[in-house]
Amino acid sequence: MAGKSFMEVDGPLGIAVLGAVLLTVPLYAGPFYTRLVAVGVLYGLAAVGFNVLFGYTGLLSFGHAMFWGLGAYGVAIGLVKLGLGYAGSFALALALVLGVALATGFFSLRHTKIYFAMLTLAFAQLVYAVLLKWRDVSGGDEGLYGLPRPLGSVERFYYVVVVAVLVMLVAVWRFLETPLGLAFQTIRDNPYRAEVVGYPVSRIRLLSYVVSGLITGVAGMLYSPLQGAVTPDSLYWTFSAAIVFMAILGGTRVFLGPFIGGILYVFIANYAMDVTEYWLLVMGVILAAIVYLFPSGVVGALMKQLRGEG
Amino acid sequence: MVSLDYVAVQTINALFYSSILFLVASGLSLIYGIMRILNLAHGAFYMVGAYLAYTVIILWASGSTLYFLVAPLVALAALAALGVGVERGLIRPLYGKPEELQLLATYALILVFDDLVKMLWGAEYKSFTVLAGGSLRIGRFTVPHYFVAVILVGFAVAGLLWLVFSKTMLGKQMRATAHNPEIAAALGVNTDRVFVAAFALGAALAGLAGAVAAPILTAYPGMGTEIIVLSFAVIVIGGMGSITGSLVGSLIVGFARTLMAATYPIMEIALIYIIMAAVLLVKPVGLFGREERERR
Repeated sequence: MAGKSFMEVDGPLGIAVLGAVLLTVPLYAGPFYTRLVAVGVLYGLAAVGFNVLFGYTGLLSFGHAMFWGLGAYGVAIGLVKLGLGYAGSFALALALVLGVALATGFFSLRHTKIYFAMLTLAFAQLVYAVLLKWRDVSGGDEGLYGLPRPLGSVERFYYVVVVAVLVMLVAVWRFLETPLGLAFQTIRDNPYRAEVVGYPVSRIRLLSYVVSGLITGVAGMLYSPLQGAVTPDSLYWTFSAAIVFMAILGGTRVFLGPFIGGILYVFIANYAMDVTEYWLLVMGVILAAIVYLFPSGVVGALMKQLRGEG
Repeated sequence: MVSLDYVAVQTINALFYSSILFLVASGLSLIYGIMRILNLAHGAFYMVGAYLAYTVIILWASGSTLYFLVAPLVALAALAALGVGVERGLIRPLYGKPEELQLLATYALILVFDDLVKMLWGAEYKSFTVLAGGSLRIGRFTVPHYFVAVILVGFAVAGLLWLVFSKTMLGKQMRATAHNPEIAAALGVNTDRVFVAAFALGAALAGLAGAVAAPILTAYPGMGTEIIVLSFAVIVIGGMGSITGSLVGSLIVGFARTLMAATYPIMEIALIYIIMAAVLLVKPVGLFGREERERR
């Protein structure tokens, strides 16, 4: 079947090719670009997490910055405020993300569509508002900085980031191919039918929400050590919008679309910042072009061409 | 012991803030109610209104009293025109499109407007607290007359909107279109014209809000992203599409914020989102919203 080989490109084969490219980056790129690629890879993973819920399960979250920010703050608080060391801080952040995902998922999933999106926005802004004002813990407007650099250098930590992200991608792809993972798409396409044939729809949605949040949260957990700091922007609603932007930029109906979208986002933003101080304007125009001209995303449009549908 | 004067002053502060929120949120709600568009760029309209007021008040008139009256009218007119342009050019292709595309397209507008404002006015905060008209004495406290004027503007606009919707032909056409655009069109309503009118009116209200808020809250890039998410809270609490809902929602948010700021500042903003989430869970259509029919 022709479609099968394309699925492989958009799965293990694609991940292997991307992995090979990513692992050689520190050999020829300087520290600046190595770090930039690492940021792109983490944005990409965050967008993949978002897309498990959106592209695969059909639920639009407008608050995914919450998971990213809780992961980033969790690690930073563990390291800077509690002196837990890396293992302890990661465990703390993971517990925080998981706990908040279960709690907000339980409530948010009372609804779907626009009311679900509004609930995710409300919860994310609630977490943002509390952390912003709770200065003793979060450092307020300035955030937390001076995180000890893991493994001594950006290059060495780069490999940790890339390997961790590749492992996550393979795991997520394989999970989405299991019967349980495939149930996400069944629910997306027709929740009523799924209910009637006996799927426990609300439990599967909650699972998707928690998995999605954990993936984006893990990306955030690797982000604050990479930057050595974390600021409240990482929890603000505009970053939730940026994650949606990345996912749509790559394409939400392609597994690797959001991942490539995240990397592209970082590189386009960096390039625009080099050219002009008005880089947000450039991002806005590109975003508008995607929405109006290529709503299936860059990778999505490319795959259509390859399949000869374009 | 909290004195009565203090309570009176805080009440005026809360009403002032509610009034600004109402002006922004009522337009957002109007646009959603009639066009089913979640317009994130609505905050950008508010910001542009604020900068226009700065230009009129400081650059043209160096703070003279009369220009405090002219600035809001300039913002109102300019934003109505901008609203027509944006609706025609950018919003129209989005009708009936999935929510994420509507949100992203209007988010793109925020990015563009934020930088256009920086280009035209510079990135620094514009504060111009040259207050016209003196102030009111309440015990040990003074409250600028300007606060009272803004509160009156808020209530006046609420009254005018009510008149427009209940008494004029355009208002009736808007309500019909909000209820069911196909049937309204079949009965001879020019729904295209209603959509433009609603969007322009909403944008004009946001511009007015920015213009009256700027002398107190200052003008800065990013002020739009802050107000828009609070306005979402307002219209979700009050009910998306309901003007009464926007009024009540603004009062709830304005008073909740003022109360927390005075008593328990860590919850100043958080309480707003707790109320928003609670309303969504208990009555998702909001306090004054009607049950939704499927519209696409």
